Amino acid sequence: MKRWQVALLALLAAGTFAAAAPVKIDFWYSMGGANGDLIQSMVKDFNEANKDVVVTATYQGNYYDTSAKIQAAVASNTTPNVSMVVDMHNAMFASAGVLADLGPFMKRDKVDVNDFIPGLLDWSFYEGKTVSLPFNRSTPLFYFNKDHLREAGLDENGPKTWEELRSYARKLTRKGERFGFSCPIDIWFYLGMVFQNGGEVLAPDGKHIGFNNDIGTKPIVFWREMIDEGIMKMPPGKEYNAWDVAMQDFLNGKTSMIMTSTGYLYGILSSAKGKFDVGTGYLPRAKQYGTPTGGANVAVIANKPAQEIEASWRFVKYLTDVPQVIRFSQKSGYMTSRKSAVAGPEMQAFFKGNPQFKTAIDQLYEAAKKRPAHPNYPQLDKIIMDEIQRAVIDRSYAPEQALKAIDAAAQRLF
Amino acid sequence: MKRLLSLAVRAAKAVSLVAVIAIFIFPFFWILSNSLKTYEETLVFPPRILPAKAMLGNYLAALSRMPFARYLFNSLVVNALVLASQFLVIVPAAYAFAMYRFKGKGLLFTLVLFGFMLPQQLTFVPIYLLFGRLRLLNSYASLVLPFAASSFGIFLLRQYFMGIPAEIIEAGYLDGVSHRQSMMYIMIPMAKSALASIALISFITHWNDYFWPLVMTNTVKVRTLPLGVAALRVTDGTTEWNVLMAANMLLILPIIATFFVAHRQIKEALVHSGIK
Repeated sequence: MKRWQVALLALLAAGTFAAAAPVKIDFWYSMGGANGDLIQSMVKDFNEANKDVVVTATYQGNYYDTSAKIQAAVASNTTPNVSMVVDMHNAMFASAGVLADLGPFMKRDKVDVNDFIPGLLDWSFYEGKTVSLPFNRSTPLFYFNKDHLREAGLDENGPKTWEELRSYARKLTRKGERFGFSCPIDIWFYLGMVFQNGGEVLAPDGKHIGFNNDIGTKPIVFWREMIDEGIMKMPPGKEYNAWDVAMQDFLNGKTSMIMTSTGYLYGILSSAKGKFDVGTGYLPRAKQYGTPTGGANVAVIANKPAQEIEASWRFVKYLTDVPQVIRFSQKSGYMTSRKSAVAGPEMQAFFKGNPQFKTAIDQLYEAAKKRPAHPNYPQLDKIIMDEIQRAVIDRSYAPEQALKAIDAAAQRLF
Repeated sequence: MKRLLSLAVRAAKAVSLVAVIAIFIFPFFWILSNSLKTYEETLVFPPRILPAKAMLGNYLAALSRMPFARYLFNSLVVNALVLASQFLVIVPAAYAFAMYRFKGKGLLFTLVLFGFMLPQQLTFVPIYLLFGRLRLLNSYASLVLPFAASSFGIFLLRQYFMGIPAEIIEAGYLDGVSHRQSMMYIMIPMAKSALASIALISFITHWNDYFWPLVMTNTVKVRTLPLGVAALRVTDGTTEWNVLMAANMLLILPIIATFFVAHRQIKEALVHSGIK
């Protein structure tokens, strides 16, 4: 054997050896409970099918805990390879160079970004890069107790407009016993109402808010009036506690109609089974239908060895590919993120058995609006939340004042 | 009349005592009750005090939802190491502050007290970065070393040592014992109750600690039980409160057991520490 042949053989041997040692990557996720189990089983299947990669998935607390952990991990150089990133933090991490550009990989592997439902792509791009892909995404949804509606002689398909919502709530309310409507005073539902009025988060100049007029005051006034009339309950509690209260009231027949996340759909359906019929609808419209989206994307963390980035991409590709999208959305109740999955026979058959879920997907197609993918958006989000809550609770604080404060903050942030 | 009055006072005392006890017991009772309900039952209104039918299945669900044994093992290891290292540091430090005279003692003791006063929220960022640089994140070390010494323990034990009558110690010196022997064979046995108090407070604090391990660790390999239990909460969706409460019961059992075994020392500890 000649010397170069020996060298070649050695190289080959080294190559096979290197390939035999699997690439280890870490995946951080933010879902506990049964959905966490689902993630773990998806990871297990990936590991079994891909002997050259080992994914270790670890729960890191809720969305915001996970974001805080990523920030800390960047500072201490202990970042994972793949992570769930809550919608509005994608731009923030992308602007800090934490997220890898998936664009070249998608081009190489012919993954068409346009197959994702457009309403879910609001946080995927930053400065021309594809920084993350939709994964566990949700939207607000309108839920109602069909039995109550029938009893009151109302259309059992639920109210379609704000004014119908008001008159339905009026007819469904029984003083001291039952509220017609309940909804947490939360930015998610507020922005939905801004969109329904034809507004946008930011004005075309990108510096001012796009609802510093009656588009922005109408939702606050609407809530105030309904609360004052005693036909809407403002569920007590901080953050998600208020959401839980709304859901519990709904399940106990103490409230006839609520707005909450599609993430609660399965829990609500299974708890109401045998007790009452649950109907779902779009969030009622003003000028038009409109809804924000929420939940998290999956992203590959940058600044890692090429081998790990490659393995991370393969894992993200697996998670967001049609079979796993179908599996995940059918089992968890999160949005079916890809058009081809929605159109395929498996989901179509599933929709027949779960019409309430179909409503959520239809609303997503028809009415989802984007929030600005700007690194500073999370700060504006918090300010909007604080200001609208104050404006609803404190009657000496005019809705216009709240909007003025939000607009001033926007000019500072953008 | 006087007797009647004193009877009334005693009755009022008893009633308020029962009320206070009820307030403190109720959360634990509520955990237990909800851990035995079905999911639907946890949501009914008005809430049911007792489950219609006790379900033990929630406990099995809680155990199967997480690597319980792993978390429990980690919790035991971390707590044992913290207690051991605190003992090793606190006793000599307290002895030195109580018995030795040396230059800068006042300043050093002030420093110890200063550590006592600094809230964790102020120190965790620098400690996190330090451990990151030392590559000690995601290890038992990151959960144990920051608590290897306890300012509170040093302070408490020093006060206790200083309260031991000088005659006893001097008698020891006359018999020719060294400082080390005096510490080991005179002071430690006499300070047993203070040591037990320190150990108990330390155990309860670290067993329940959620924040520190959440910050310092990213992997199940070294994470402790409170993090495992918290993982049963669901992000935007329906949390199964019954399973979560069953896991909570498993988490607090050691604390409750400790309390039953050592409630006298715990009371003493709280008195020592001036109600922490």
